[in-house]
Amino acid sequence: MNGEAMRDQWYPVGIAAQLTPAGRDSLLLGEAIRIACDSDGAALVTDGAGRALPVITRFGHVWTTLGQPERDLFTIPEADQPGRRLVDVGTVLVRCSPLRAVENFLDIAHFPFVHTDILGSEPHTEVQRYEVEIRDDVDEVWATKVSFYQPQAAKSAQGGINAEYMYRVPAPTCSVLYKTCPARPEEWDVITLFVQPLTETTCQVWPWMALFDEDSSMTDMIHFQQMIFVQDRSILENQIPALLPLDPGMEIPTRADMTSIAYRRWLKRHGYTYGAQLVAA
Amino acid sequence: MNWTPAALSQDIPSGSAAPGQLGDKDIVIWRSASGRIAAWSDRCPHRGMRLSHGFVRGEFLSCIYHGWRYGDGGQCHRIPAHPELTPPDAIKVPVFAVTESDGVVWVAQKDAEPEAPPPGLAGFSPLRTLRLSARPETVAAAFGGTGLDLRGELGGCAVVVLIQPLPDDQCNLHALAANGADTATLDRVSAALEALRRQAETAEEIAA
Ligand code: FES
Ligand SMILES: [Fe+2]
Repeated sequence: MNGEAMRDQWYPVGIAAQLTPAGRDSLLLGEAIRIACDSDGAALVTDGAGRALPVITRFGHVWTTLGQPERDLFTIPEADQPGRRLVDVGTVLVRCSPLRAVENFLDIAHFPFVHTDILGSEPHTEVQRYEVEIRDDVDEVWATKVSFYQPQAAKSAQGGINAEYMYRVPAPTCSVLYKTCPARPEEWDVITLFVQPLTETTCQVWPWMALFDEDSSMTDMIHFQQMIFVQDRSILENQIPALLPLDPGMEIPTRADMTSIAYRRWLKRHGYTYGAQLVAA
Repeated sequence: MNWTPAALSQDIPSGSAAPGQLGDKDIVIWRSASGRIAAWSDRCPHRGMRLSHGFVRGEFLSCIYHGWRYGDGGQCHRIPAHPELTPPDAIKVPVFAVTESDGVVWVAQKDAEPEAPPPGLAGFSPLRTLRLSARPETVAAAFGGTGLDLRGELGGCAVVVLIQPLPDDQCNLHALAANGADTATLDRVSAALEALRRQAETAEEIAA
């Protein structure tokens, strides 16, 4: 399999509160899996041969692996702060590489054109310099001091603000976004993108949020995030090639793409290449 | 190589872009506000987004993903994330040769631009384009002709049917009908074209 190292990772496969004893079939890295629960509601994930796979329930989702992860699934300490609303957004099936889905989540330059008048608007298109690093101690990609003008940064935002962002990639198909919280400027809202790789060119995206927002209804918050993601899907299903090119030459990055450059470099270094293209076709 | 019919002019109004094909290559066919037609590779050099999803402003085509703006010769003129930057000459979309005559948009590889102009279609007006799952030979046989430029009658009206071969045993038919045909006649031609499509696709299935 392309990207053997990705077998030894944890992947989201469902929402913990929505499991059924009858279960449902899905795919993980091209292999058949089944997600169900026992009579106590505990998650059960099995492979194509009926063998039980390891399970972790965290961030409202069920996680599993086909291999032997060296590390526990990452944590998001901020999400445990009291007072946050935890939002299981649901899932969107996207016909794109799981890695392209994550890369798009790390990108701010598309806001004015893809999320017009919501997360961005012309003429506010400039991407200011920000900082990117691969943190060796935790083996994560981080982008900090990212800022961008947003007409409606969140469901709870009143009018335009200069939103501050931090991005974190703690696993090859997961990203955590820390974003200016309109309701509590001293805290960060947490918005995540958890991606289940079905195949190299299809994925199930499970966004999840931990927000300080006392006013918006759960339904409104879910709809807002789903609308954003449906806009992203129209991009993701129309990029050529479908696989994420890891070798330079195929695409032309600029300074605004520093997070993407670091993410690709980190993927390549670890052999996280399921959903990637190594030699320009 | 000859010119390949890729679209009807009426289907690419000013200020719009649409996907097209030349052989196995995906192209974007677009028309500027002033009416200039262009055919380019349907892939933005930045991150590979299809340019046919983009938007036209004035004489430029912009990519819908990050708004990179391209003009004459496929040259990138503006990167909105870096408004102060003049994009290097090397940032270019590959372009195709294109010409327009008698309401049809014809394309060719840039380095193999045909010397002869496209066939004349005087006396005919563009009607519609149909895509079908059959090889050009099968379509020509169903029409009762040969080659890619079929002339004859359909639905009691003189027509020209231009075949655009596509990969995977597909093709587009660009149909033109005699000038001045009334609406009822054009409806009959249209129905006859759909019958032709069914006949060719059925013949193809039987052959397979
Ligand atoms: S992919 Fe076209 S502008 Fe970024
Ligand atoms: Fe987006």
